[in-house]
Amino acid sequence: MTIRNTLRDHGQRYRPRMACLKKAEKVLLEMQDPKTGVKSQPQRLVITTIPHAITGEDILSWLADRFQVDTQEARNVGSMLVALGYIYPLQDHKRLVIKPDASLYRFQTPYFWPTQQWPVEDTDYAIYLAKRNIRKKGILELHEQEQYNRLHKWMNHKWDFIVMQAKEQYRAAKERKKPDRVVFDCQERAYWVVHRPPPGTVSAMDYGLERRIEPNADETKTPDFYERIMIFTQQSIMRPRVKSSVSIGALVKYCATYSNHDPFLSKCLPSNPWLTDDITYWNLNMTNVEIPTKMRVERWTFSFGELLSDPRGRDDFRLFLKKEFSGENLAFWEVCEDLKWGAAETMREKAEQIYKTFLARGAPRWINIDGKTMEITVNGLKHPHRYVLDAAQTHIYMLMKKDSYGRYLKSPVFKDTVKKAACPEEQKFTDTQLEQNAKNRRPSLSPIVLRQQEQEQRAKMAANAPVDITQLCRFTTPVPHLAVYSGFTDSPPGHTSPSLPFLANTTACPSPISVALDSTSASERRVEASEGEEAENPEARAPISRNVSKSRMPLSLRRLLKRGCTPATMFASLSPKYHSAAGTSTRIKPICPDQPSQAPPRRIGNFFQIKVDIPPECRIYPIESEDEDEENRASSRGGVGAKEIICPWESLTPQNEIGQ
Amino acid sequence: MPFVNNKVGDDCTVATDKALAEGEALVKSLVKVVACYRHLASCVGGCTDSLQLRDELRQTREKAQKLAVSIRHHLTSHLRDKSLPVDQRREMELLWVAFSSSLELLHVDMCKVFSMGDIFSLANGVTLVQNGFQGGGSEVAARALSVPDLNQDQTPTLEAGLEIQERSTMEQEISHIDHMIDDMEMKVNVLRWMVEPHGPQYADPLSSTDSSSLALLSVDEEQPGHQPPSKRNQIVVLLLLFAVILLATTLSVCIFFFS
Repeated sequence: MTIRNTLRDHGQRYRPRMACLKKAEKVLLEMQDPKTGVKSQPQRLVITTIPHAITGEDILSWLADRFQVDTQEARNVGSMLVALGYIYPLQDHKRLVIKPDASLYRFQTPYFWPTQQWPVEDTDYAIYLAKRNIRKKGILELHEQEQYNRLHKWMNHKWDFIVMQAKEQYRAAKERKKPDRVVFDCQERAYWVVHRPPPGTVSAMDYGLERRIEPNADETKTPDFYERIMIFTQQSIMRPRVKSSVSIGALVKYCATYSNHDPFLSKCLPSNPWLTDDITYWNLNMTNVEIPTKMRVERWTFSFGELLSDPRGRDDFRLFLKKEFSGENLAFWEVCEDLKWGAAETMREKAEQIYKTFLARGAPRWINIDGKTMEITVNGLKHPHRYVLDAAQTHIYMLMKKDSYGRYLKSPVFKDTVKKAACPEEQKFTDTQLEQNAKNRRPSLSPIVLRQQEQEQRAKMAANAPVDITQLCRFTTPVPHLAVYSGFTDSPPGHTSPSLPFLANTTACPSPISVALDSTSASERRVEASEGEEAENPEARAPISRNVSKSRMPLSLRRLLKRGCTPATMFASLSPKYHSAAGTSTRIKPICPDQPSQAPPRRIGNFFQIKVDIPPECRIYPIESEDEDEENRASSRGGVGAKEIICPWESLTPQNEIGQ
Repeated sequence: MPFVNNKVGDDCTVATDKALAEGEALVKSLVKVVACYRHLASCVGGCTDSLQLRDELRQTREKAQKLAVSIRHHLTSHLRDKSLPVDQRREMELLWVAFSSSLELLHVDMCKVFSMGDIFSLANGVTLVQNGFQGGGSEVAARALSVPDLNQDQTPTLEAGLEIQERSTMEQEISHIDHMIDDMEMKVNVLRWMVEPHGPQYADPLSSTDSSSLALLSVDEEQPGHQPPSKRNQIVVLLLLFAVILLATTLSVCIFFFS
């Protein structure tokens, strides 16, 4: 096996063409003209003089003259030439900008001109660094040192060659005259500043990803080629067409609405971080900021989509909905988004949980969608995939948009937010301050840290999920793992908090609340006892492993069939009506006579309470325990928590039985 | 080379030792020529570009190719020899890696010179870039060709036809090198990444450090408060101080003796 040498890739990887390079070369050649070009002067150094130095102001005046533009534009063009590497500064060689004063520049020799034909090789860079190190030890800067070490690690096999070549180049350079040697060193250094920029700067030759096909190459006319053309034209014909007056009107409206918010077209308050290196703007517009800016709040009024896509707006909207007690719509929408964009392995559990929480009849957070959509969704849930809840999600979205959104914009919550919104002052920086800012650039938080923070927040939100206070016992604690959006709760019940820490340090990944009301869990867990270590610690048994949960389904099904228990009763028992009737319903037997204060862990109201651990003495769910408790079970068959919500696609009893 | 205590293999190890030394010398000279070629290439298109430079480039190129062909024969014949002892094979592989890397560098440089020749065609009188060079690359070329002085007698004539011809030869040479690299990859199975180099990570500085050009470079820098400590300056100052002290002591001694 031989390695294909990428150095001679003969253009197998096509770089997105930078058309500016050819144009810049033309301009540069014009600048060389002795009569009409830029005036050059010799640069005087300690021992010698080197010709062909040009001042920044000369360059700028020539550019302004040649292109008939104003000085600011000439400055931009000049900066571009310097950034690309066609002209390099003699003083302050690391900052590739053109200064409109007497600072000196020089033209780069064509060998070191930027080009796309031959990629810049790490081997050359290694040779350059080695050469500098040979000349004087310890002259490499920190980032160059790091690069050197990295190259040494990756090109270890070539290292002898690299050192040999570096030494030879150094010796060959010594053959030249002193001023030429200095010039060559400057040129090489400038070349590498462009192509291996120091940290905190960007290379102008960074052209992005490389293509796999040559865009200029003629494509062979195979049947596939014509097939593609046919498909394309067919789809173009089928595309829905809109009158140009309508589409142009929409464009005009969009531009008019958003023009004040566009950082290119209007000022960015307080200042654009990309221009001034001051990150106040980003700090003020962070995701979880307390006080949003006025511009941000204004954006929320543009459309419902804007409100939802901004996390802070979504938070505000959620607050409003909570006050209106219609938070389940937003929760459902969020949960659908999570399903759509989430990981594939948890999709099934998530779909089940969503069904149980939002869609099932008598679900704790039942959303109001019309019958047809419900039918489609439930049918789809038999074979859940990512987009199975799309119809329901759209319905809820339109509902929120048409109904709640309007009320939100008139609500006191929103008015309060608008009043408190901050309007920052525009910052004006002097040139020295700008340079100071550029020096103080710091990298932002790493995405890993951000993701962790996000997860913690989500866990916190899930932990604060609305808990049905009437149904509390110390076991009805939420488990933060696999937190599905739950929305806010008014206040977490105090006595659930002690249980939280137990759950926090469980290692097993619990399944989602697939059997939220699964009281089978307790005894089942005891019975199945897959986690040995959890057996000792009853609280820690709260989360169960996924295999246990998976096997629970058929197990409970079997039990159900054995007991002849209909899903109907289960669903009924889980309907919200029960909350009011807690403890007083005839269906519910006083299950734990010795613990009257603790209501049976009815996780009806607990959205994410995955595992509620039931102490052995609280045999609430006799159905699940084994045959020795046949009689008990028979008596408390109607027991609430005993039944799990079985998803319709799981049970053999079809849905027509649900229908009390 | 480790001492091989093997009476039977003595002759062939000696032979391969010699071959190894020969190979090393050849590769070293190739590396030297490639380095010089790069220096010459940096002058192309600049104000010191001339037919002479192009001629020097051509000569250096030819020398490099001659060396390359001979090294190739040498190394391929030895590396395909299965009976080579392991350590010698390792050395050969090192040489092979150096050879292929320098060929690649040469190839890239040749391509660059070729395309620059397109833009800066001397026959057409295109304006040359004022890149600050004052001298041509004659000394470098002399080093590359290992002659003390280049023969400047015959200056090549400026002819359009000659240039085209030269370009076509160059194209051929480039493709030749291309094929050579391809062949090498095919014929000799050397796992490049398995080769372990001898040298340390940080090469020792060469004996005569060029502090003066360093000083020149650092003078370019706009660092107002920073005085780059130049060795020369320090030595001069020390000498002066020493001389002053010496003078003072001699004067005092004289005064002491004569008073």
